[in-house]
Amino acid sequence: MALGTVTRRLGNKLLPALSPSPRLLHSHATSFGFKQVNEEEKARMVGDVFTSVASSYDLMNDLMSAGLHRLWKDRLVSKLNPFPGMKHLDVAGGTGDVAFRILENIHKVKLRGLRGAFQDTLEAETQIYVCDINPKMLNVGKQRASEKGFGEDGSLVWVEGNAESLSFQNDSMDGYTIAFGIRNVTHIEKVLSEAHRVLKPGGRFLCLELSHVGIPIFKDLYDYYSFSVIPYMGELVAGDRQSYQYLVESIRRFPSQEKFASMIADAGFQKVEYENLVGGVVAIHSGLKI
Amino acid sequence: MYRTAAKRLVSGARYYYTGKVGLRFRPSQILIPSSRFSTSETQPLPIPVATETETPNSSDSSPSSSSSSTATKPRAKYEDQQTRVLQASLSYVLKLGWTEAALVAGARDVGLSPSIVGSLPRKEATLVEYFMDGCLQRLVDKIDSDESLKNLTPSDCISKLIRFRLEMQAPYISTWPQALSIQAQPVNVPTSFKQRAVLVDEIWHAAGDNASDIDWYAKRTVLGGIYSTTEIYMLTDSSPDFRDTWAFLDARVKDAFDIKKTIQEAQYLAEAVSTGLGNSFQGFVGKVFQR
Repeated sequence: MALGTVTRRLGNKLLPALSPSPRLLHSHATSFGFKQVNEEEKARMVGDVFTSVASSYDLMNDLMSAGLHRLWKDRLVSKLNPFPGMKHLDVAGGTGDVAFRILENIHKVKLRGLRGAFQDTLEAETQIYVCDINPKMLNVGKQRASEKGFGEDGSLVWVEGNAESLSFQNDSMDGYTIAFGIRNVTHIEKVLSEAHRVLKPGGRFLCLELSHVGIPIFKDLYDYYSFSVIPYMGELVAGDRQSYQYLVESIRRFPSQEKFASMIADAGFQKVEYENLVGGVVAIHSGLKI
Repeated sequence: MYRTAAKRLVSGARYYYTGKVGLRFRPSQILIPSSRFSTSETQPLPIPVATETETPNSSDSSPSSSSSSTATKPRAKYEDQQTRVLQASLSYVLKLGWTEAALVAGARDVGLSPSIVGSLPRKEATLVEYFMDGCLQRLVDKIDSDESLKNLTPSDCISKLIRFRLEMQAPYISTWPQALSIQAQPVNVPTSFKQRAVLVDEIWHAAGDNASDIDWYAKRTVLGGIYSTTEIYMLTDSSPDFRDTWAFLDARVKDAFDIKKTIQEAQYLAEAVSTGLGNSFQGFVGKVFQR
């Protein structure tokens, strides 16, 4: 078992380039890793990060987390508890990892013979929307969907869009997941309020994100692994040290587990909980819309 | 020591149901890590902790901990909705059983997304526990409102209350074996055991027993046994209106209260023990002399 484990995934959700002129006069500073930049700059810079890592994305994920990111995503989907006929939105899920797991889980549910309850629901088709702002990531996902045999399945719908202004109707989704993506948006609050808007009453919000390690000694090992090993690995494998330097820095700038949970509650969600994995390297937050 | 623990248990259990506003769905509580009856006091204001149950398809091998962030108002609203879903799910139990499918159907009835089922920590066990809590609440209401109970002898009072309680399960008798198996799962035993302990305690209090003496555990163990055996007997009873079950129940309660029979049984036990010892002694002596 690797001591320090970090994983990362796509998902850059950013303001569109169009911003009203009055905002330019009062442009707010935001963070890109440890650097302070204005909001428009962050959008472009994060876009560059994910454009450059798209091709070697999965390989680096496996290397950085020693394959653990697969287990984390499995855990996320098991907490979601998918059911046949659900309308689900996976944001920042361009390569489709989470969406594929949801579909496989739903197929298992069908095989388990829960048809009694879902008889009427089976008429309504399952719809899994994969939304990403980066078209390169979406293309990777579509290609992998074809390879896995999900290509013909009409359940998967690939949508290019911004997490801060989704193109879906109010009260239209049963579930909303965002895996390793919310850290890269410019306004976390906007993403959360958008998630609340598109969910049906009773719908659930789940967020899988790299978070903060609280255990003293493990924290030191984790810091060393983050700032020394990962950028070097990125340079060696993907030929891109800068992008992975941004990755580890943005993790440290992300709100703590408790603070992020309170942000979710402020957006209107109830029964907000979080679960730490590997001592806090990754956290799964969940909330319920009533 | 037993007396102190018992008093704390009694006060805790009594406090738990003191409010007559109506049974609020209990928030998740810290589970007692053993199925043996705990002497720890029931917390008046339990701290909500989400205890995650590993689902069969979860392959997560990482250590995990959980925490929850709640506020008073939003939590009340959430619990109201959860109660509505559970209440609506009960009407599907006969058709779908005590299953996730019933919960999904119930959620649809109240206009919520079936995703809310995913937020229940133990899903179908939550439904069974909700039903058990509802039955307990109705029993407590009857104890408070039925004046005729005060005129009955303890044995008659106990028989009547157990019958009243088991009659609440009669509509679900065809699916109750499934509910019992759900309650018997290791992760659900602490809660179901506690529910039955509180039930037995309420019945003894209604019968007028408020003592906290050394018999406290013995009385509740005996009554718990009577309740459980009658419940199981009821599962296979096909007589009209469970007539055989009520006869069985009355006989068991009378047996428990029959002091003369108890004395006789004690005598039989003493004779059996002495006879057994005698046989062993004779055998031992015989072997020694044979050498």
